Amino acid sequence: MNATLDYLSYSLENLETGFYKIPGSQVLARYVKSSHQNDPGRTLLEVILLIFVIRTLLQSRTRADGSGKHFIQFSEREIDELVDEWTPEPLEQPLTERESLDLASLPIIAGPTGPKPKLLGSGKTVMNLASFNFTGLAGNEHIKQKATEALRKYGLGSCGPAGFYGTIDVHTELEKSIADFLGTEDSILYSQAFATVSSVIPAFAKRGDIIVADRNINFSIQKGLQISRSTIRWFDHNDMKSLEEVLESIHKESRKRRAPLTRRFIITEGIFERDGSMADLPKLIELKHKYKYRLILDETFSFGTVGRTGRGLTELYNVPASEVDMLIGSVATSLCAAGGFCAGSSVVVKHQRINGTAFVFSASTPAALSVAATEAISIIRDSPSILSTLQENVRTFRSILDRLDCITIPSHHASPIIHIQVRTASASSLLPTAVPSSASKSSNPTSVLPRNPQVFDIDAEERLLQEVVDDVLAQGILTTRAKRLRGHEMSEARPSIRLAISTAFTKKECEKAATTIKTSLVKVLGKRR
Amino acid sequence: MPSPIAINPVSPSHSIFKKMSKSPTNLPASAASYLSAVSQADAHARARSLATTVTPTTTPPLSMSSSVTVFSDDNVLREGEPKMFDNDDGLSYPPIPPTSEQVFTTVHSEFGHCANEEYRFTSQHPPGKPVPHHKELDPPYYILLSTYISYMILICLGHLRDFFGKRLKPSAYTHLLPHNGYAPLNSDFDSFYTRRLKLRIDDCFSTPVTGVPGRTIICYDRETQDYNANLHTTGRRTRGLNISSYNYLGFAQARGGCADAVAEVISRYGVSCCGARLEGGSLDLHQTAERLIAQFVGQEDSIISSMGFATNSTIIPALVGKGCLIISDEFNHASIRFGVRLSGASVRTFKHNSMKSFENLLREVISQGQPKTHRPWKKILVIVEGLYSMEGSIVDLPKVLELKKKYKFFLFVDEAHSIGAMGAHGRGVAEYYGIDPRSIDILMGTFTKSFGAAGGYVAGKKNLMDHIRVRGHSGPYAEAMSPPVLTQVMASMASIMGVAPEPPKSANGTSSNTLIPYPGPAPAHMLPNWFDLPPSLKDGTEGLIRLRRLAFNARYLSRGLKKLGFITYGSDDSPIVPLMLFNPGKMCAFSRMMKQRATPIFTVVVAYPATPLVTSRVRFCLSAAHTKDDVDLILKACDEIGDWLDLKQGVGERWSLQEIMDRAVELVHMDID
Repeated sequence: MNATLDYLSYSLENLETGFYKIPGSQVLARYVKSSHQNDPGRTLLEVILLIFVIRTLLQSRTRADGSGKHFIQFSEREIDELVDEWTPEPLEQPLTERESLDLASLPIIAGPTGPKPKLLGSGKTVMNLASFNFTGLAGNEHIKQKATEALRKYGLGSCGPAGFYGTIDVHTELEKSIADFLGTEDSILYSQAFATVSSVIPAFAKRGDIIVADRNINFSIQKGLQISRSTIRWFDHNDMKSLEEVLESIHKESRKRRAPLTRRFIITEGIFERDGSMADLPKLIELKHKYKYRLILDETFSFGTVGRTGRGLTELYNVPASEVDMLIGSVATSLCAAGGFCAGSSVVVKHQRINGTAFVFSASTPAALSVAATEAISIIRDSPSILSTLQENVRTFRSILDRLDCITIPSHHASPIIHIQVRTASASSLLPTAVPSSASKSSNPTSVLPRNPQVFDIDAEERLLQEVVDDVLAQGILTTRAKRLRGHEMSEARPSIRLAISTAFTKKECEKAATTIKTSLVKVLGKRR
Repeated sequence: MPSPIAINPVSPSHSIFKKMSKSPTNLPASAASYLSAVSQADAHARARSLATTVTPTTTPPLSMSSSVTVFSDDNVLREGEPKMFDNDDGLSYPPIPPTSEQVFTTVHSEFGHCANEEYRFTSQHPPGKPVPHHKELDPPYYILLSTYISYMILICLGHLRDFFGKRLKPSAYTHLLPHNGYAPLNSDFDSFYTRRLKLRIDDCFSTPVTGVPGRTIICYDRETQDYNANLHTTGRRTRGLNISSYNYLGFAQARGGCADAVAEVISRYGVSCCGARLEGGSLDLHQTAERLIAQFVGQEDSIISSMGFATNSTIIPALVGKGCLIISDEFNHASIRFGVRLSGASVRTFKHNSMKSFENLLREVISQGQPKTHRPWKKILVIVEGLYSMEGSIVDLPKVLELKKKYKFFLFVDEAHSIGAMGAHGRGVAEYYGIDPRSIDILMGTFTKSFGAAGGYVAGKKNLMDHIRVRGHSGPYAEAMSPPVLTQVMASMASIMGVAPEPPKSANGTSSNTLIPYPGPAPAHMLPNWFDLPPSLKDGTEGLIRLRRLAFNARYLSRGLKKLGFITYGSDDSPIVPLMLFNPGKMCAFSRMMKQRATPIFTVVVAYPATPLVTSRVRFCLSAAHTKDDVDLILKACDEIGDWLDLKQGVGERWSLQEIMDRAVELVHMDID
């Protein structure tokens, strides 16, 4: 007994001298002593606090699994039984009748695509209003020749991501020529157009940042928003007044809450993929400057199709492209190659070279395709007639289709994609493009749905439109419904037939095609009444 | 496994590539001139080797410049132009000149000439043997400690520089700080790692290149006046040995059967198909290619996506959603994580390749059900990669399938790196283990790597593929794969498989689709009818040689490095060989020293965040295009640099460099467990 006491006091002494040997320990001891003297309760409190801190520190590491509040302890046997009992749902759902019909009737082009491809199966040559060949460069001999030359110099694949010996000189050239064409400092290439914007957004917008987006943005942007985890506010489709209201309300709110300064973005499209309407760029730029937002503009369908020389919305509205912070476009549509790009200041581009997920983790575009795109830009640059013919053709189509009263065309008059929607008789959707004009109350900015959303019967309208598509195809014109992933989009887009106009058609062909479509629309939609 | 194309006996005296005299009809118009250039080049090589007794494997002094100042891309054969390339870098000619028997059809700098039949191996897991568990060696403590200290110093210095920089040179920080009412796009905190750590070694990344990323690659030299903030190309170019590109089977070629097929398709189809698959962008080529891919991987059907990254990110959301669980290996690729986040399903991860951790997790999640509600999961999708690109490790597929039977999950195997590169016939990790590919629900892979193309595919049951075709994101929204890429895929795939001659029409006219053996040759009717591959590709001999060369190179390098005393990760059969460097400072040193050798070697160094903080590494990607001499060269370089940088921390028996080089074949065939 005595021995243990001796040992205890000895070790205590040792501990004490050891403790005092630590530099600064005197101060601590003095502090503890004096505080204990003044207020013994405080010592107790501090000890409890210390224990609490240690406990929480230890706890947070093991929180992840196994010990949560909702964890139930099972014995091994019980687990085995549960495993045996569990039956998963099948991985795939069988296609609905409509879906399998759609898939079976999917037109497949045999041989090269272009304005007049041949279809597999029937072997019929059709006029192609389905593919995005706006500039008519598909099958261009000069581009083919350049692409072959590139193939003989670089091989096909790049065999690596840009960071690891995948940056070929032709990529840099294309980036430069896009930036040059648009008038931005720099640009960056992605290897798929669809993946571009959904990677650009999360490269910049993070949790806590604010994004104000149009209610009708395309699927790829929606996915980008989802990945970014930012706070999202919506404004009514293409309604600058609604945008201003939303911006103002955010401004007020953050002033009230004295929220810290976060990154803020406005995201919209040049020509909307969903309906072909066009954004009011000057107003957007004005608002962005006023409220200090950055503008992400998806020009997938406006780059290479509008403006005098095809430079897109910025040229059309005569706004310097440098005013748009991130200008996103497609290399796969107007340039008839593959991939997408984001143009902007060099800071913006440099940032993406490290943070753009789809850029960093993906192999770069095949050299031959990049060369094809560079050639396409120089062709578009050198021949403004491409754009004027395209616009002429769009006008021809519109002049014939606009007069039809069984359909609505929400697309802008200059848009090379023309969406045809069924016009319903009900009064509520007589003006589908117009803003719900009841100015009394605006839509809830936190919800993707507007205050009074359009009501439409997706299934019935799709069936009607498909009938038109089939009927038109029988007469030698290839069109397509705008295909959507129903149930996956944030809000449902109204079913439509999407015509993609090309500069490769003559005026006569356009007139004939438009008339055929018109007749067919009248026939099918008229039957329904 | 006996294979229908393996039984073609290749006599040792024969060249691996068929003698060209047998096949003049299948060559382009310039065949005659091409051939004469080949023989000229060979003669030149012989003359050189006689004149100089020094073989290129013995490294000339470091001072010798190896930059390429003039470069003509029009010459068919670069060896044929001695003025363009002197052989200072030892890359233009094989050290042992070919005999008159051997006529190679490839450009040596694109696809190395190697006629020695001994330098071949078959990538196959020995049947019946348990899957080896590669213990990842820990470095000695002083290395770990110095690594941590290095990072600490870097971080402290970085913060000090930021602190003073902001006060003394505020203009350099404007884009990182709030200004003019805008929050910075990238705050100084978020970008700290990039600015203060990565920037220091930025010259090792994103090097601009030109030419074919084959056996050798040509890099633009860069210089900087402001410590890597801006790197400018000097206009000079350096050619070096390329052990960085994902060119496993060496199909990155500007000449040869595949490139000819691609050139043909460009003239026939152009370069684009102008639209999404479901919206008028589907070509007959897509259908043909999808059938061929399904046949290649041994599934019912497949779907092509025009981007490898997007394959995962657009297809996973079509498979699972809310109420489903994804179980993912902790080292899965970013594209998988992207897709998982888009799908809205819950995710749990298990320790890399640890089947124990995996099974424990399975038991837990199935018994617990969904969090809070405890309802059973709708379905559980397990996503693993066949071959992990940073680790070089191969998934323990037999065990996963065993667990699959018991726990009823669905299995998604990402074969981005393993397809083409593993297995005796290149059919990926399933063939490597001798497993029926149809026991895996979804096989995903990319064409960027082994096939020298771009994009990716998924393959599985017909119903499932139709489901993805209609409900995946790619179908309605993403551009379809362009014809040249499709053709490269088909041509390279057909040359791996070999093409079976048209089967005699059976009397009753039944389709023979169901009878096609796996892994067997591609039926001729599965290829476009204008396809005209040279005979050596058509009969599959060259494809087989490529596979066997890759398998040899992979084993030789990883075993050679181990015998030299390095710490490497992953399987011996993996064509990706990560060599551990640990200290961050050694990364740039290693990369630069390799680049500055008489024969420059271009390497990839990777560090945090792609790997855990302490395990910085250099990653070698071998290719069938490399010859044994190339691997010797790499080993020699590593040996020298490894001494300098104190990298030889591994355990086990060590051999001298000479011994490794001499006993290479023995080393590869050795049974090491």
